[in-house]
Amino acid sequence: MKLSHSLFCAIAASSLLLASCKTKDQFAGADGDFVDGMPLPERTDGAAYLGGGVNKGQFAPVQFGFDSVEVSGSEMGKVQAVADFMRSSKTDVIIAGFTDERGTEEYNRGLGERRALAVREKLVGLGLGGGRIQTVSFGEEMPVAPGGGEAAWAANRRAEIGVVR
Amino acid sequence: MTRAICSISIFCLGASAWAQDAPTITVRKGDRVSLAVTPLGGPSGPAVTKVLQNDLDLSGWFQLVPDARGSYVVGGTAAGGSLQGRVTDSSGATILAKAYNGNDREVAHQFADDIVETITGNPGIATTKIAFVGTASGPKEIYFADYDGASARRLTSDRSISVAPSLGPGARNLAYTGYHEGYPDVYVIDVASGARQRVVKAPGTNSGAAISPDGGKMALTMSKDGNPEIYITGLRGGMARRLTRTRGVESSPTWSPNGSELIYSSDQGGSPQLYRMGAGGGGGSMLSTGFGYCTDPSWSPDGKKVAFTVRSGGGFSVAVMELGGGARIVAAGQNPVWGRNSRHLIYSSGSNLNLLDVPNGRSTTIVSGLGKVSEPTWSL
Repeated sequence: MKLSHSLFCAIAASSLLLASCKTKDQFAGADGDFVDGMPLPERTDGAAYLGGGVNKGQFAPVQFGFDSVEVSGSEMGKVQAVADFMRSSKTDVIIAGFTDERGTEEYNRGLGERRALAVREKLVGLGLGGGRIQTVSFGEEMPVAPGGGEAAWAANRRAEIGVVR
Repeated sequence: MTRAICSISIFCLGASAWAQDAPTITVRKGDRVSLAVTPLGGPSGPAVTKVLQNDLDLSGWFQLVPDARGSYVVGGTAAGGSLQGRVTDSSGATILAKAYNGNDREVAHQFADDIVETITGNPGIATTKIAFVGTASGPKEIYFADYDGASARRLTSDRSISVAPSLGPGARNLAYTGYHEGYPDVYVIDVASGARQRVVKAPGTNSGAAISPDGGKMALTMSKDGNPEIYITGLRGGMARRLTRTRGVESSPTWSPNGSELIYSSDQGGSPQLYRMGAGGGGGSMLSTGFGYCTDPSWSPDGKKVAFTVRSGGGFSVAVMELGGGARIVAAGQNPVWGRNSRHLIYSSGSNLNLLDVPNGRSTTIVSGLGKVSEPTWSL
């Protein structure tokens, strides 16, 4: 009787220990899912989206809906073009995310980053390595279409792809 | 269909509640203390008197009246570099007599804060400082000024994009997001000397740094692990400790007065809402504000309230919520930040910064003419 009691205690104690280890590592987001992003690679020396060492304008920017970070089906052709290029070359890319002017500044910096990351996730889904893809956000800065109105806002909600030289 | 009806009726309920509710703190004319400022003597008297009167007026505590009708009388002498200030009560007894050293603005601000503290027991805001983003020179740069917008000077000459400033306690240090080295990184400037150091340089976007009330740490957004999340680092950078873990955008953390908690904005649920969590991490719980888009939270230094930006109908408004209570709109504008008296807010509106006395709704433009002005921060 005594032996099985201590065995029971030992099992109970070790399962409690295992349970606490598990919850320490795992973290539920608001939707209950365990969320783990893909870490970004270190920056390339001498290459900055706002500086030198990056070729811009080689690809059409991926456009986004209002307040959205989803890459829609109709935009996937642009992502595919980038993927095809990356498969045939050894270069890295930097994806720059932008928003229209209609949010608050700091939230827009985060939204722009999320858009760049969304394109990165699609590229990884097409088989490219996440270590070749950096991201940066400019939020509502540097609009391509000045002024307001639906057309300008739509043009400004974008992710641009820069190719590292 | 049912869900749409529910949210419409909640909105209507909320709207009528706002119409009926009185502000939570009401200051009627009778609540203000009557104060007479006798023009100060001495060669610097007129200049110091002007700043002093403005400070006392903006403080919101006083009804400035002609001499001999005040419950209190302020007087003194000011000569270049020093002020002898005195306050007497209605019986003629001296309740404050003090000497101050500094330039005309400095001595006036110090005296004003002492007057507020002596008579009302509350902290004054006249000696505090602000920083903000301005485009007067073309690109976005960081500016620094007195709380009333005077003595504004440009702190950065980055000629790039310099944004998201945060002043630490005593306005000794300023953290900001600078793109001038090609990426959004966090820099810290020693305000007195101008010396600058890049402190956060991780992959991705680093932004929204908020210096902790004790001045030793920063909370900020970093995306280095694959998503924009809230991290804490030391003031000089170092090991970043991750606090949030969602698929959404976490932004704009603000510290509780003792540094043990944070409120931040997260769109993990769809649109950005405010969440509150311990500074040790462990998940945030949503604050129910009644609004559909909430960003830029600022926790009041007394710990009781949070001010934030609300977007509705295409425009932005400043809202204030008592923690554990209801939220109400207090002004049109965005990016509110509390003063150390937990009574005034500074926020951006159009191309200006305004100072708002929340209890009575009085709003004063303090910064204009520096291009598009945004993202204010206010030292404690």
